[in-house]
Amino acid sequence: MTIAEDLARTIIDPKSYAKRELADAAFARLRAEAPLDQAVLEEFDPFWVVTRHADIKEIERQPNIFHNGDKSTFLSPRDGQERVKMLTGGEPNLIRSLVSVDGDEHKALRSVVFPHVTPRAIKPLEDQIRAIAREFVDHMLAFDGQCDFAADVAFLYPLRVIMTVLGVPQEDEPFMLKLTQELFNNADPELNRRRAELSPDEMLKSLWETTMELENYFAEVTKKFRAQPTGAINSLIANAKIGDEYLNHRQLMGYYIIAATAGHDTTSNTTAGAMWALAERPELLKAMQDSPDRINAFVEESIRWEVPVKHFMRSAVEDCEIDGRQIRAGDWLMLSYQSANRDETVWADPFEFRIDREQNPQIAFGYGVHVCLGQHLARMEMRILWEELFKRLKSVEMNGAGERTISNFVCGPKHVPIRFTVN
Amino acid sequence: MRKWRCRNCGFIYDEALGLPDEGIAPGTRFEDIPEDWYCPDCGTEKQDFELMDY
Repeated sequence: MTIAEDLARTIIDPKSYAKRELADAAFARLRAEAPLDQAVLEEFDPFWVVTRHADIKEIERQPNIFHNGDKSTFLSPRDGQERVKMLTGGEPNLIRSLVSVDGDEHKALRSVVFPHVTPRAIKPLEDQIRAIAREFVDHMLAFDGQCDFAADVAFLYPLRVIMTVLGVPQEDEPFMLKLTQELFNNADPELNRRRAELSPDEMLKSLWETTMELENYFAEVTKKFRAQPTGAINSLIANAKIGDEYLNHRQLMGYYIIAATAGHDTTSNTTAGAMWALAERPELLKAMQDSPDRINAFVEESIRWEVPVKHFMRSAVEDCEIDGRQIRAGDWLMLSYQSANRDETVWADPFEFRIDREQNPQIAFGYGVHVCLGQHLARMEMRILWEELFKRLKSVEMNGAGERTISNFVCGPKHVPIRFTVN
Repeated sequence: MRKWRCRNCGFIYDEALGLPDEGIAPGTRFEDIPEDWYCPDCGTEKQDFELMDY
């Protein structure tokens, strides 16, 4: 059996994630009727769609069997994959980053930054991040009762935090935001490089141009930090060695790019989504103000709710069985984090935003050795922002329709118009 | 010998194997690992590991 074509087309269509209920409804049907089955579509290599929380965990716990880097790490048509190989000299991914490498290379690359982003390592940043959060809360309140929370706050605050940690000057933040949006929002005419509807060929071309622009920028970063090393994350990357050798060009660029893009876009999406949820639920702000000790539950639920990375792909390197289904060596699998975070067997009322969940094993950061490197920093910066905002906000409601980015990969709200009052 | 799982990323600490790369000898009980030890895959702290049932 394979997945019905209409369902398969719904879950790959970037527009289904802009109207999230479309993707949610399709995944709910799949979880009930075909939780692990293959999608067979003319323009793609066949791929398994993994919809259940338990199955994704089982796959991600076995990185020796399910590789990230053998094929494209995100869903890409067959033609696109061939063109990427031509551009990269045979590699399946345009960018060779932590999410697209495996085994010893992944371990070595991850160990460059990992010790600096553990909960203990980032604790000393709390005061600095709180000062940034207060600056952005003041910035929001200066809008005099209404703003687009996504564009005016949520895109900017995580950007400032990550650029501070990376050692990127503030004046470069607009450039980094623009290129991040181009990279992740290629299917969205409002945010992509051409500001237009693009054909698959044009999308790949514009992605390549954005990648080259980022590489030109980071080539200077390498020179700067090799001449004068600091404690900034970009300096660690610039000066990191595997054995006696600096990281090669692809590894270096991949590391800079993922840290400088995924390092804020995902948190921005989650923050914007949390405000959207608040603005539609007057009782939620009051509950948070009455019970500030629920702040971690609020952050965790907003990550589950928004699930900014919609999927990653894996490829099997040997035959194996998952949930009674026979997976063959070479098979390609789509891990749907959006579906897993709505799994009815894990959460009661998965389509409700609740801060009273006893357990919330959300899987938006992934699982296993590829679990998000920056997850603890993301949680901390969101907690601090909401602590500061909840002290000041008296009421908040939507001030028009929110809008989500058109994308099936890394995405979330792009407009969250709100009306608010302050204490 | 018991096994302990990181609640965050699923890393398993197997007391029988220890973690020789981190200076934790085979046979080291979870309780005997220093309190400031953290998950080698995701950084989660020791108190957020759970005992695995078999």
